[in-house]
Amino acid sequence: MAEVSKGIAEKWGLVVDQDRCTGCNACVVACSMENNVPFTGEDNVAFGRGTYWIYNKRMWEGAYPEVAPAFQPVMCQQCGSAPCEPVCPTFAAVHSEEEQINLQIYNRCIGTRYCANNCPYHARQFNFQDPDIPEPMNSYLNPDVTIRRRGVMEKCTFCVQRIVAGRQTASAEDRPLRDGEVTPACVAACPSGALVFGDLSDPSSRVSQMAQNERQYKLMDELGTRPKVTYLKGGGRNGG
Amino acid sequence: MSDKITRRNFLKIAGAGAAISAVLTGCGPMSRYIVRRPYTEMPEYNQTGLNTYYASTCRECAAGCGIIVRTKEGRAITIEGNPQHPLNRGRLCARGITAQQGLYNPDRVFGPIFQARGDTGRQARTSWDEAIPLVSEALKSPAGQIAFLLGTAPDHLYDLVTEWTRSIGAPAPLRYSALASFEGRSTLQEAANRTFGKPALPYFDLANAEVVFSFGANFLETWLSPVSYSAAYGDMRQARPTRRGYLVAFEARQSLTAGNADEWIPIKPGSEGLVALALARLVAEARGEATPAAARSIDPATVAETAGIEPAKLTELARLFAASEHSLAIPGGSAIGQHEGLAIAQAILQLNVQVNNLGLPGGVFLTNSEQPTTSLTEVKSLVQKMNDSQVKVLFIHAANPVFELPKVLGFEEALAKVPLVISFATFPDETAMLSDYILPDHSPLESFGYQRMLAAADRPVYSSIQPVVAPLYDTRATADVLLAAAAAAGSPLPYTDEVDFVQQMIVPLISAGGFYTAPEIQTFWSRWLQYGGWWVTEQGLDAEIAAGSSRPATFSGPAALEEDKQFYLVVFPTQLGDGAGANRPWLQEMPDPMTTLTWNTWVEVNPETADKLGIHDDDVVRVTTPYGALEASVYRYPAIRPDTIAIPFGQGHTALGRWAEGRGANPAALLPAAVNEAGDLAFGDVIASIALTGKRRPLARVENREGVYGEH
Ligand code: SF4
Ligand code: SF4
Ligand code: SF4
Repeated sequence: MAEVSKGIAEKWGLVVDQDRCTGCNACVVACSMENNVPFTGEDNVAFGRGTYWIYNKRMWEGAYPEVAPAFQPVMCQQCGSAPCEPVCPTFAAVHSEEEQINLQIYNRCIGTRYCANNCPYHARQFNFQDPDIPEPMNSYLNPDVTIRRRGVMEKCTFCVQRIVAGRQTASAEDRPLRDGEVTPACVAACPSGALVFGDLSDPSSRVSQMAQNERQYKLMDELGTRPKVTYLKGGGRNGG
Repeated sequence: MSDKITRRNFLKIAGAGAAISAVLTGCGPMSRYIVRRPYTEMPEYNQTGLNTYYASTCRECAAGCGIIVRTKEGRAITIEGNPQHPLNRGRLCARGITAQQGLYNPDRVFGPIFQARGDTGRQARTSWDEAIPLVSEALKSPAGQIAFLLGTAPDHLYDLVTEWTRSIGAPAPLRYSALASFEGRSTLQEAANRTFGKPALPYFDLANAEVVFSFGANFLETWLSPVSYSAAYGDMRQARPTRRGYLVAFEARQSLTAGNADEWIPIKPGSEGLVALALARLVAEARGEATPAAARSIDPATVAETAGIEPAKLTELARLFAASEHSLAIPGGSAIGQHEGLAIAQAILQLNVQVNNLGLPGGVFLTNSEQPTTSLTEVKSLVQKMNDSQVKVLFIHAANPVFELPKVLGFEEALAKVPLVISFATFPDETAMLSDYILPDHSPLESFGYQRMLAAADRPVYSSIQPVVAPLYDTRATADVLLAAAAAAGSPLPYTDEVDFVQQMIVPLISAGGFYTAPEIQTFWSRWLQYGGWWVTEQGLDAEIAAGSSRPATFSGPAALEEDKQFYLVVFPTQLGDGAGANRPWLQEMPDPMTTLTWNTWVEVNPETADKLGIHDDDVVRVTTPYGALEASVYRYPAIRPDTIAIPFGQGHTALGRWAEGRGANPAALLPAAVNEAGDLAFGDVIASIALTGKRRPLARVENREGVYGEH
């Protein structure tokens, strides 16, 4: 069980610049292709059972003709003090001490969905079915990422497989990880450069610098979840 | 088949390039040179458990973004942008990211088929040994009776076919894509020609602009080169420490681009030209300059009223535009794809002339790129020729005219009058189904080639295409089929195969001052594949653009409507592009950014109008225009004029595989065949009516997921 304490270590972090974000959803698709997130079909999406590890909250602001959408890409905030963790009876929702992120152990998960109920960000996605990916479509599935079965909870992992690969490459070359060396799929795709990922424990990293921006805020920070994702407010009339 | 270069030799040659970078491989599963073997005999360039990366070019639209494909054990796993590529600099859009879902799609055409125009009784698999003589016979037809209809990508096939048709005196190949219609490409190019004296696509330096006026340009979605324009948009917002760019969008239906604008000005469709002229007059006043000739008879207050906006707003915006040192006006598809579109495009381009931003940072440049389409006028005359039985054989590649063209154009009926239709489609799309033969090309990720017309590149760029996996099925490169058939028909071209053709085409680049060179073509070729193309290091576009004088124009303005009975119709493209994306399940499941809708077609109606007409969310309505009708569910869309309705393009397939078929409706049924002066489809000023059908069909939306565990 995660302890609520003051001195929680910081490690990987993400900054979402809402002034750059256009709401294009390329990140949604990039995440799904990287992480073997199954498409579920029209009926499931209609039932609210579509699986999106990252989704764009589109909120209409104002009334016609001064109406505009505000986009807010939301993924697991990798809470430093995660409400999803203590409620899991099987310890499937666990905290990685090394990476300081929240992970889901799929083969421990028995599908109580307590964690999803307790996550204030709707970050958790439940597999209501087995993935239906007919051959040879399954050929593109990423061998670095487990394929989840029906009855299992899943969510954004900050592309932990890329973090691990980056760390291994660096250690094989006997050097520290470079800033920007690890890029999650959404960050790599984002056409407008709205997403920045990196090591928050290094004050000189780009992500640490950007997280200091005067436009910064955290999503539902008042709940004490200590999110690792920092949002930068949109700058315009319509900005986030 | 070339036996000149054996596989081992080839790898040796290519190995010369491999020294340059440990990451990207210049060699690859080059279909022709490498035999497929079981993975127990692993090829040298592959190691179990290790990734192999290939640089290539996205072919999901005509933009030509550079991609890096990560492969493992011969399978294409993930696609990301090529960080070195000057167009997209490592970024990519949803369509490029899901290209594997085309490669590994279970509904592809597996090999050459005698398709018998859908007559299932006569359909049969055929072989390439039979297909080549057949194509060869067809190429022997009288030159004037051969027609090629190609897609907007890839460019190398277009170049090859152009060379062949020229050599025998046949009509030049046509290129068409519905996307090009929605972009108004021909109009944009012709407007640039008339305004700047050169028929090239203009490049808008969004990243360095401060005040940007977009007239229906959906550059964050599909317009010209969405990835590079999205990157520029991000920089326009946040890359300068002191100045945040300001975007104003003039359009009747709020697109994603307009949704991101600082101000959305919902003007009536058809009033864009008038608004541009009124702005020209007000901008001149604000700058203390003489009113441009074209705008002298314009009264801004009247224009504002006609366009349906506040006169004070227009003045305020004109002052903003006039005051900034880096103002930019962009003419987009829905504004210029209208009857008077060419004059509208010129009027908008003239705003740039007025603020002297030509060839300056934040202004307008001219690219080296022609637009990669022929105009709809030429497609129409092809249809006429087909109807007059003047076309004996029609070849179709990477285009789906039966689906994409307005139904009233009668392409399908004309197709029935062509004695021999040969499709090179990789998917059984609507047009391929009505062909005599489908001789499938490799899928883009299994192909060679290049894209050279990069509409938003800020420098000369050739982007290379190479196979990242060995072909999965009994498909064959269309260029190879045509080369072999042309040789057999007695009108050979001097190339042994597709690779030879591409190599000969890029020979001039060796000494053209790019960021690498090589003593001979084979070494150059391996670098060309390794880097994903060729370009020059320095950014550089034609800054010497001269402005012509502004031509007096008169605009008839928006059509009058019968209130609550008639509506302006906006048909807009989405992530499904020209419709070919509809068989990628993740593009279907990806929520439409503005509505969060998935997997279907919807009709956007302003809630105020919907209330008046008693229309609820998910009610099925029948939309009728003078050209046809369709039925789809309503989405009450708050960001659209009350006198306008909108429908997304791309669904409504009757073929194209399990994920595309029988889903939604195709708005091509609602569009006219009319063109503007530049030959682009006049789709932007169509008038429609809607009627309730009494049916209800819920749309699959993502936006209510917050209510899933509680109230809906
Ligand atoms: S890809 Fe980038 S711009 Fe597009 S929605 Fe995601 S964060 Fe926003
Ligand atoms: S965002 Fe939700 S799923 Fe992620 S760590 Fe926090 S509570 Fe858990
Ligand atoms: S903009 Fe076009 S070329 Fe670029 S990634 Fe998207 S579909 Fe591919």
